[in-house]
Amino acid sequence: MASHFSGVLKLTDLDDFITPSQECVKPVKLEKKQGKSVAKIQIEDDGSYFQINQDGGKQKLEKAKITLNDCLACSGCITSAESVLIAQQSQEEIFKVLRNNKLASATDQVVVVVSVSPQSRASLAARFGMSSSETGRRLTSFLKGLGVHHVFDTGFSRTFSLLESQQEFLERFQRKEQDKSALPMLTSACPGWICYAEKTHGEFILPYISTTRSPQQMMGSLVKDYFAEAQGLSPRQIFHVAVMPCYDKKLEASRPDFYLEEAESREVDLVITSGEVLSMLEQEKVILNEVKAAPLDELFSNVNGGELLSHAGGGSGGYLHHVFTHTAKQLFGEEVKELTYKTLKNKDFQEVTLEKDGVVVLRFASTYGFRNIQNLVQKLKRGKSPYHFVEVMACPSGCLNGGGQLKPLPDQTSKDLLQQVERLYKAETASVPEDDTRVSDLYHSWLHNVGAERARQLLRTQYHGVEKISNGLVIKW
Amino acid sequence: MKDALVLVERFNAHPDSRCWHVAWNPTATLMASCGGDRAIRIWGKEGDSWKCLSVLQDGHQRTVRRVAWSPCGTYLASASFDATTCIWKKKNDDFECLTTLEGHENEVKCVTWAPSGNLLATCSRDKSVWVWEVDEEDEYECVTVINSHTQDVKLVVWHPTLELLASASYDNNICVYKEEDDDWECKATLEGHASTVWSLTFDPSGQRMASCSDDRTVKIWKCQNIEGPGDMSWKCVCTLSGFHERSVYDIAWCRLTGALVTACGDDGVRVFKEDPSADPDQPVFSLAAHVSKAHSQDVNCVAWNPKEGGVLATCSDNGEIAIWKYQDDHE
Repeated sequence: MASHFSGVLKLTDLDDFITPSQECVKPVKLEKKQGKSVAKIQIEDDGSYFQINQDGGKQKLEKAKITLNDCLACSGCITSAESVLIAQQSQEEIFKVLRNNKLASATDQVVVVVSVSPQSRASLAARFGMSSSETGRRLTSFLKGLGVHHVFDTGFSRTFSLLESQQEFLERFQRKEQDKSALPMLTSACPGWICYAEKTHGEFILPYISTTRSPQQMMGSLVKDYFAEAQGLSPRQIFHVAVMPCYDKKLEASRPDFYLEEAESREVDLVITSGEVLSMLEQEKVILNEVKAAPLDELFSNVNGGELLSHAGGGSGGYLHHVFTHTAKQLFGEEVKELTYKTLKNKDFQEVTLEKDGVVVLRFASTYGFRNIQNLVQKLKRGKSPYHFVEVMACPSGCLNGGGQLKPLPDQTSKDLLQQVERLYKAETASVPEDDTRVSDLYHSWLHNVGAERARQLLRTQYHGVEKISNGLVIKW
Repeated sequence: MKDALVLVERFNAHPDSRCWHVAWNPTATLMASCGGDRAIRIWGKEGDSWKCLSVLQDGHQRTVRRVAWSPCGTYLASASFDATTCIWKKKNDDFECLTTLEGHENEVKCVTWAPSGNLLATCSRDKSVWVWEVDEEDEYECVTVINSHTQDVKLVVWHPTLELLASASYDNNICVYKEEDDDWECKATLEGHASTVWSLTFDPSGQRMASCSDDRTVKIWKCQNIEGPGDMSWKCVCTLSGFHERSVYDIAWCRLTGALVTACGDDGVRVFKEDPSADPDQPVFSLAAHVSKAHSQDVNCVAWNPKEGGVLATCSDNGEIAIWKYQDDHE
């Protein structure tokens, strides 16, 4: 079970037979009550604990509780119990919600929205031998047949993430002389990377990480704020599911920062992987090729002429590509048509530079996989990182190779499958975020009157370093 | 007549703590030792006896578990329970800390230099094996992180001539790694020991490996197709059982004489010799020398002198280092 997480997350220890994982920091955060240091504890027959005070009075002691949510949201550790629980946050949940919907009264029903990532679509497309857009149409039909109301494409919300990233980079670049931790800007769309950064490098690395929300959580904002309001619904009346290429995205959806306190609702209620969608198809005995295509829900999909669009710059979102081209134009007046990637130590470590009058003015890199992330962070710590921007992904070969993607068939090698998925992904025409009028209109209509603070809440996020606990009791000898 | 293992010298290396490891430098003029006192000590010969030339005390916050000399003899790497690996550079008679390699989640159990001198391997209780590369500017970078073991990795060792790495683990297995495309992969998993594999050593030719385990045996492994391409296959061709009364903590194969020596939790040191007339696919080893109380506590490490055949260093939980001379009766 635990093996599903990205390699970057797996490095924490995973056995927790009796004690919580050594890395569990939850106990540290409990509030300490003031009082005398000496106390007598009495255990009642029912197993509850009472503290006996000096004057004989009894005080019931609260049990330290660690809920699934505490576990999921905290980056302190990944215990094997938690990984079992994560596995339970699966397609069963969506079937349950759809079943309840059928039985519920009109007022108790929820609107079910599924946002599908382009990487998941490409993975399913490879398995069923269809184009990515056709797969999108078939999926729309299949999901709506089960009772899902809307099927969106996170390529749409990704346009927001790309635009915000471009803006954020320019802001950071402008203040790089005054703020030493403005650059390099490190991307934040990968939750495996974020959990690792929060846990292992804490306060040192967090200022460098982009505050722009990932496409999944941008969609969360779009669906539970804009869409909810437009439909006259409260966030609780929408059940929002995201289909993603990895399990780490389940952790991202559970972060407290993405929980709407007042509405008591998560921006993304459930994340299922590409593989879990396949399980759904198998459970319903449906073969995607045989499903009749349905028109795409264009409201929150990156479409043109009925075909889904993609973004340039690789299968992990294209952050490097878009920030580079935008900055080259805005700050240096250069129109970069095609980026030249230079492979450094290995194929998961690539560099792109912009030269003006023989001087390198922009130096960007993409580092995928744990070993490259390690080297990036160590170089940064020594003050020797030459980059302005780094696209960081936990999985070697990026999101198309995520842990939740469909596995190769018996007669296929992983390499061949990955190449096939990449081909299908790239076959979709690339759209240019800056030219997307629907998105710019939405920026305007949705965010224009809400004020800077609210806009920040909707488009950006924050990170929290995790303090390590060195409790002698939990050290393994 | 039985061969003998004769004590040459014995001295206390790490006062009031255990000595975990002792290593000869490539020219055998110096020894480095490390222990539970968080220190690394450098020893040199003064006349007939060994003297402590230098104490490197402030490199680590916890026990230093292993030290390793670079093939050129100028650098020393130290692996510690504080999760770091320090690289030291020799400057006249002293050593200065060049850099600290971080990244392991918890206790680093072993560090070892590749014969080429550009690569370093470390392993840890965090179950991973890391390969590091050093460039011309003495900068170290992580080449890869391999997670083939399911438990604490006790030891990593390089092949004497090929760029091949082997590791031993608490999961009872041995893994052998090779570089493929642009990453390192586990190319073979050797199963057979019934308990933790503590140490591994390659024979002088690099065709075979000897392993020792908590299951009180020593196993000899032979490989078909070690240089590839395609899969390597390793077979256990010999098991030495009934000789050790406790866990066997270390094993070393002498490059000069081909003799095998073991360090045991029963405080003994044993030398095994190979029968030259046996079938190479069914080797026969016999116990040639045995000191039952080599130290007053567990023997943690055995190391053959790389220049002088038959000379051996051992160290123990009692903080001592001892030097021995194996006298082959047939000389």
